[in-house]
Amino acid sequence: MLVIVLENAPPRLRGRMAIWLLEIRAGVYVGAYNRKIRDYLWQQVEEGLEDGNAVMAWQAAAEAGFDFVTLGANRRVPAEFDGAKLVSFLPPAVSEEAGE
Amino acid sequence: MSQPLPPLKPLPIKERLSVLFVERCQLDVLDGAFVAVDATGVRTHIPVGGVACLMLEPGVRVSHAACKLAAQVGTLLVWVGEAGVRLYSAGQPGGARADRLLYQARLALDEDARLKVVREMYRRRFGEEPPQKRSVEQLRGIEGARVRAMYQQLAQQYGVKWQARNYDREDWDQADIPNRCLSAATACLYGVTEAAVLAAGYAPAIGFIHSGKPLSFVYDVADVYKFETVVPVAFAVAGKPVHNVEREVRQRCRDMFRKTRLLERIIPDIETMLDAGGLDRPEAQGVVDAAFPEDEGLGDVGHRA
Repeated sequence: MLVIVLENAPPRLRGRMAIWLLEIRAGVYVGAYNRKIRDYLWQQVEEGLEDGNAVMAWQAAAEAGFDFVTLGANRRVPAEFDGAKLVSFLPPAVSEEAGE
Repeated sequence: MSQPLPPLKPLPIKERLSVLFVERCQLDVLDGAFVAVDATGVRTHIPVGGVACLMLEPGVRVSHAACKLAAQVGTLLVWVGEAGVRLYSAGQPGGARADRLLYQARLALDEDARLKVVREMYRRRFGEEPPQKRSVEQLRGIEGARVRAMYQQLAQQYGVKWQARNYDREDWDQADIPNRCLSAATACLYGVTEAAVLAAGYAPAIGFIHSGKPLSFVYDVADVYKFETVVPVAFAVAGKPVHNVEREVRQRCRDMFRKTRLLERIIPDIETMLDAGGLDRPEAQGVVDAAFPEDEGLGDVGHRA
């Protein structure tokens, strides 16, 4: 299982994602592919994201059962907590400095 | 303007959904994605790169851009008539691997190698050693008799009244329900098999048991799986009162392909069957080298990167 969420992404990237994944809500794409293809899809996101931001989550052997990566500025940022990967929600002022 | 997106590449067949049927719509490309637009203007995205073959039923119009996109992502477009009677097909460029085409042709032309391949197909299909000292023609005869018996047996098992496998291409509605179910079911299997044959880099027309048809090799390969996958599905549907039998058949075929892991098995199986011919596989070097090097793709060897 694989989920990609795009925010503020250019239409051509959104269209490109729909070539392999199902857009179940605006900017939310799901599919089921292996690692190699996941890397290929994320490469497309990296190169086409421009000013937008993205997150990709997938089923993994990690303790949580999944893993995720992010790209671009967002108030939600990955945070390591005692070996576990969580998400911190930044206050508005900090996120503005972060370029939002 | 920013830099373009990375090039589109086909994904391996085993990562994909087997078949997807579309009807009465306009297939086009919107923002680079494959969309089906129906008469009321409703747009449906089709993850074309994640499907092994797309079956186009009557009432489908396809734009130039849509065909181009299907080709780029290595997805076979198959035009099918009502209930899966095939009309015409294209969409995924085949013949990308000269080394494999030459190897396949060499196997088919060498009487000894061809017989070995046919025997291996027989072995896989019936799960037992074929009788010794038989020609390809004799094996074909034995196979025909066994197939008729298997139809009879399965029909009985599912409580279906069965006469014979026959259908009139000119008069589709005359066919009885079991034959219609079988035609719809085999259409699904042939579509997936052709997509796999092309993805593996071989020619659909160069067959070993079948010959002289555009899809001879596809029929050879599909027959190996036919009685394990689609025939029981067809009889199961034919034995029950179902409103739209063709639709029911194809949905159950998809489940069956998934259950039997057909898409994962088919390309390795094609290689094993050809290996049985006993001829050395050609060295890729020197045969496929082009004037400019090709990109390494994610897809199967027959996919153009």
